[in-house]
Amino acid sequence: MSEFEIEPGATKDSVLVTSESFDNFEQMSSSLEEIKYGNVKPNDDPNSVLTDDNQVESTSNTAETQSANANVKDEYVENSIDWTNKKKHVFVLSTAGKPIYSRHGNEDKLAWLFGVMLGLFKYSHDSIKSIHAGDTTYLFLSKKPLILVAIWKTKESVNQVTLQLNYVFNQIVSMLTLRRLIKTYDERPNYDLRRLLTGVDRLIDHVLDFSENEAAFTLGAIQCLPLALSDRDAISKAIKDACGKIKNLVFAILLGNNRLITLVQMKKYHLHPADLHLVFNLVQATESLKYSESWTPLCLPRFDNSGFLYAHVSYLSEDCQACLMLLTVERDVFFPLSNAKQKIVEKLRISGCMEHINASLLAMEESALASGFSELRHYLYKCKSTAQFYQPALSPPYTKDKIKLMELYKRAYQKMHCSTRQLKLSFERSFDEVVFSWDTKGFELYAIFEPLIDTQKVIHCVSKLLDWIKKREDKLFHLNAYTF
Amino acid sequence: MASNKKVLLKVIILGDSSVGKTSLMNQYVNRKFSNQYKATIGADFLTKEVTIDDRTVTMQIWDTAGQERFQSLGVAFYRGADCCVLVFDVTAPNTFKSLDSWRDEFLIQAAPREPDNFPFVLLGNKVDLEPRAISAKRAQQWCQSKNDIPYFETSAKEGLNVEQAFLAIAKNALAQQNQTVDLYNEFPDQIKLTNTQRPSNGSDSCAC
Repeated sequence: MSEFEIEPGATKDSVLVTSESFDNFEQMSSSLEEIKYGNVKPNDDPNSVLTDDNQVESTSNTAETQSANANVKDEYVENSIDWTNKKKHVFVLSTAGKPIYSRHGNEDKLAWLFGVMLGLFKYSHDSIKSIHAGDTTYLFLSKKPLILVAIWKTKESVNQVTLQLNYVFNQIVSMLTLRRLIKTYDERPNYDLRRLLTGVDRLIDHVLDFSENEAAFTLGAIQCLPLALSDRDAISKAIKDACGKIKNLVFAILLGNNRLITLVQMKKYHLHPADLHLVFNLVQATESLKYSESWTPLCLPRFDNSGFLYAHVSYLSEDCQACLMLLTVERDVFFPLSNAKQKIVEKLRISGCMEHINASLLAMEESALASGFSELRHYLYKCKSTAQFYQPALSPPYTKDKIKLMELYKRAYQKMHCSTRQLKLSFERSFDEVVFSWDTKGFELYAIFEPLIDTQKVIHCVSKLLDWIKKREDKLFHLNAYTF
Repeated sequence: MASNKKVLLKVIILGDSSVGKTSLMNQYVNRKFSNQYKATIGADFLTKEVTIDDRTVTMQIWDTAGQERFQSLGVAFYRGADCCVLVFDVTAPNTFKSLDSWRDEFLIQAAPREPDNFPFVLLGNKVDLEPRAISAKRAQQWCQSKNDIPYFETSAKEGLNVEQAFLAIAKNALAQQNQTVDLYNEFPDQIKLTNTQRPSNGSDSCAC
């Protein structure tokens, strides 16, 4: 195998905070708030099964009563089969058992079900983690002052769904701040949180789909838009020059096509990939941002869950669909930031960077096959120290079945990061494909090959692939961090 | 998720076992009554939508078990209730005597912000049965002594007053909710950069 002094994509000054894996996702927060309020963290064992005859009886009892409920039946009979057939449900409730969010169906009509969920949770003295019944898993995640519940029949692991629920919680926090959330319930345990979350359900729906379908979430990493190093540096510098004098600007993020173009940050402050995922989610899920300059408060929970940053959000121009987000702690600097944005746009136009961004946004990334790897169908390469990853374009048979590809990756990732038995190297052949996973100190690689390839060839191909990535690392990754 | 106009109220029903809590709820939600006694295990949950002054109000009704052996589970449910419905059997004096302890226990466990103004409603059930042990007057006196709790005499069997009682329950709880204004902007939530260093950065001054 190839030996590099440093792995492809690594750099001395990473723009992103990195974390080893998502296992410690929920334990990190820059704020003291969580410690202060003694948030309960779910412990490592996700498999504690709790069943109790009484409780089960009471539940089914309720279900019977419910089906006899003429009012609910009338309106819900059409949807109910559709509703029960969903592969995955996600619910958010308050510790009083009031519904806040349901992925499918109307949470008002499901109010009784939220009662049952609180019943199960309380009956276990708040300690229930999951119930495994046949092919269905019930997961409870306590994130004070909320309880999140997932019920699914897909092949996802408890860890992966826990990660998703954490994103849902963080999405709510990013709209309210944790301080406000806790304070609201401290003052009024009966509060109907939906009053504060009008419109946020759309963002939660989106973050659930997003975290299910995007490798970025599974890997805890960010993918960059391919750009020549000189271009990326010029863009970063244009942002730095235009914004350097603006007081208390913390982050400037430029993104397009769900890829990071650049991130410029205040010295000593770093952005966590999980926060950046929420930013991507907001931009991706909010069509209206395209048509005007927006000013919005936004809490980035991993950066500081107790307060708001204020975001100036705009697309560069009609002919360049890259989105610029300028984040500050000042609540009244819309106009200075609006001016700064104009300056950035002018510079990028003059320097030709705008064209290059456009070219890259429009260009299809190469598939592995097109890059000369004949038996390699697809791969994910993550540089651990920078929390960045690269993947080629989809190629058959996955062009029409991305879900299958994501299932393979999720399974492979889970196998490598399983808490009881961590693997370093894995080669798994099935009828349909070969899945090769490699976890080293510097990088992780997950590669899907044709099913008939032999091991020698896989080793040869992986070695070639790492060379290939190394040669292009300055284009595929964000290497030079700029600060204000 | 609901619009601003939608409201969800959590309503807890309390009272001794076999006073008719589940029957009242079934009559109200399903318009059904059965003479058979089936003890509630733990709690039952039902949903009912009502319209009050153009507002769609969803009542999330928590029918708790009256039997003592389920009490430990019940109290965990009290917190965050918008209204508490106390039920007694007008033919069984003991169930009336227990009202004080039900009310006290609820106030202790639910710990509402203003216990004196918390919306309770009292229902004297089984008025279709004889002989009567607790007169309407006696029940009303008790209600007056508790800051004028509304009182309804109901029959779950005949559907008497059930609809009216629950409407009053919803109105009471809604009035309470409307009183509590959304007090936002009271805490500015501004991040103080000098205080927000991540532990991993290990620095304590912001160089901006």
